[in-house]
Amino acid sequence: MSRRPPRGEYIETDTGNKVARKANLVGTQNIMLGGKTVIQPEAMIRGDLARSIHPSSSSSGAAPGSNTAVAIGRYCFLSRGCCLRPPGRLYKGAFTYTALRVGDHVFIGPGSVIQAASIGSHVHIGANVVIGELAIIKEYVKILDGTVVPANMVIPSFSIVAGQPARVIGELPEGGHEAFELRELYKTVGNNPQPAPS
Amino acid sequence: MAPLTPYTYIQCPCSDASTLGRQADSNSPRSPDDDELDDRAFDPRAPRSNYSLYPLDYLNYCEDCQQIRCPRCVAEEIVTYFCPNCLFEVPSSNLKSEGNRCTRSCFQCPICIGPLSVTSIESPPDPSLLAAPDGAPAPHSGPYILTCSYCNWSSTEIGIKFDKSNSIHAQLVKLNNGGTTRLTAKEHRERRKEASQDRLAGPPSALAAAASNGGENNEELDLETQFANLKSFYQSQLADAAPGGSGLSSLNDLGFSSPTSLSRIMSLYTGGTVHNSRNKSRTGTMREALISDEGLQIASLDESAAIQHLHSIDYSETITTEQSTNQPPHLGEVHPHGTSRFASSLRPIPYLLRTKRSKRCPVCRHIISKPEAKVATTRFRIKLVASAYIPTITIRPLNIPSSSTPGTLPPLQPSQFILTFQNPRFETINVTLATPAKTPGRFSSKVTVLCPQFEIDANTDVWDEALKDTSDKTKLRRRGAAGDDGTHQAEAGKIWERGRNWVSIVVEVVPASLRLDLLEATAKEDEDVLEIPMFVRVEWEVDVGGDDVGTAPSRDKEQTEERELAYWCVLGLGRVGQA
Repeated sequence: MSRRPPRGEYIETDTGNKVARKANLVGTQNIMLGGKTVIQPEAMIRGDLARSIHPSSSSSGAAPGSNTAVAIGRYCFLSRGCCLRPPGRLYKGAFTYTALRVGDHVFIGPGSVIQAASIGSHVHIGANVVIGELAIIKEYVKILDGTVVPANMVIPSFSIVAGQPARVIGELPEGGHEAFELRELYKTVGNNPQPAPS
Repeated sequence: MAPLTPYTYIQCPCSDASTLGRQADSNSPRSPDDDELDDRAFDPRAPRSNYSLYPLDYLNYCEDCQQIRCPRCVAEEIVTYFCPNCLFEVPSSNLKSEGNRCTRSCFQCPICIGPLSVTSIESPPDPSLLAAPDGAPAPHSGPYILTCSYCNWSSTEIGIKFDKSNSIHAQLVKLNNGGTTRLTAKEHRERRKEASQDRLAGPPSALAAAASNGGENNEELDLETQFANLKSFYQSQLADAAPGGSGLSSLNDLGFSSPTSLSRIMSLYTGGTVHNSRNKSRTGTMREALISDEGLQIASLDESAAIQHLHSIDYSETITTEQSTNQPPHLGEVHPHGTSRFASSLRPIPYLLRTKRSKRCPVCRHIISKPEAKVATTRFRIKLVASAYIPTITIRPLNIPSSSTPGTLPPLQPSQFILTFQNPRFETINVTLATPAKTPGRFSSKVTVLCPQFEIDANTDVWDEALKDTSDKTKLRRRGAAGDDGTHQAEAGKIWERGRNWVSIVVEVVPASLRLDLLEATAKEDEDVLEIPMFVRVEWEVDVGGDDVGTAPSRDKEQTEERELAYWCVLGLGRVGQA
């Protein structure tokens, strides 16, 4: 049993998100959580890096609340010290940030920096991984520890990726798909965690 | 040394010597006291074992054969080809004509294999100007280049720029390094025609032509042109050799069923007695290509220029083996002899296509895995994975005496591990375990499975568990416990813990001392890893009838039948420390 801070280490929302009080969320109005997502202490989400140029009509009219910078699905797990940062690029000659979209059941390991354009569902990202700007990661991808995914890289489904720069080193076996489910992991953290099923 | 996380590998029966119909090979020398071992005890250190052990995730299961199938024994069939970068599905007809690489704009960096992106080398226009005309496409213009954002390589380093931002592959094929346009084979032919017309109906014999032109004809040909020249040269030779039959010179003369081929093959087997006259005449008139127009390419073995260049450059500017093997054959290349050794000549690598494949059982030919054909979907039409049929085995250390080196097992002291078996089936299964008393290999450790026979309850609905979870958990846990919290001791013949569809048992090992190797040669790689071969026999009862027909001999309904599955697995427990 660990010592619990009196108020609980996590803030648990109505939709089941468990956000650590010590997590570093910047620009929360631009961060969308799908529910049942765990954000561990010292994880950082840069919601302040929202789109600065609007592709449609007026550049000033749009409400800032609708300007999602980071969208995260359900049952995601952001480990300690990871950083989610929307990617930036030149759009019509000017620099702007674009949204970072994360699917469901995405595990992001400790110390990883994510600047992808999109991450599909059922993705496991190991510890100390760097995902370059505007990379696209499809469903069912496993990224091993210490990988550096170059900017603009597309990783197709069922890949195992490692190396600096990242390369596809293997294919996920069909039997390993179940392991991406994070429902059990979700239960093991929070203010009254359940023990992991053996 | 990195600590070892415990693992379980399962042996696929496809490599089992007994199923192959021959005697088990006794390739592992055994000491005399191993005699009580079954002759076929599996040795995880045997050289063959490397190829038959798989983690459970990698195994499939054939329902018809009721057997485990591994990646090595299944037959694979390609469902879809697609580019891993643009995720575009490539029809198999294109594959035959265009090859196995993406022919759109997907390239990898030749230096670091990172993805290349197309960028305009015009300086970005003033954004204030652009904001005004709304919706108008950005006036990106001018030459485009491929750049690697990882290592900052760009195609300007090899002097290649593109006029359009799309269909880079087609543009790149036409460009040589340095940006010069490559002549296609057709253009070469036209040039040659012009040249021959200039020679005002010279002697018809190519020999004479070669003589008259001298060395000038040995121009450097690229691979594609050389092949085209060779092909046309030999085709004309064939046509000349058979002046009567017009169609005989073509390729349909080369089929196995054609009369000429038949007679040629017959002559091979009968010792040349059936030689017909035309064959002789043909072999007589064939000659080799003599000039570059005919496809002759003299290898330039003079490497002094390359050596000279080496003197002036850095080591990093030469290419690595990996880089050169990654290079796809470029048809515009001069010839393969002089494949360059310098990074300055590397070309962007078009992405190799990837496939989605279905798997068939090697024995009954039933499909055991079939993905959806579409690239974007990740669903499977058929997916028979072994983890849905055989119990998963997880290893957890229970009681390990402290060792001199952390993360290792102390030798000659008993260590205890908990093995948890989880039943994925909807039937109750009976598990019987067997291990050799001593592990095979030079350093044999003593192994004791405290409870080698037990029953695991069926994998019932998850909701049942969720509902009764809180109340039953305490009851279910520690059923085999002898005492209360602190004094929970592992007991022979008793289960350690059991749950809804899982059972834990205890295995005790006494690792061997690695001291021996001080006297003998040094220990081989990973010989200090304690691996236990374990024979797992799973028995269960199925309701005969219903959807299980075909495998059941009995016709009666509501009758149960015993099924069993037995296989070897290997438990990797950890490294044995130094005493």
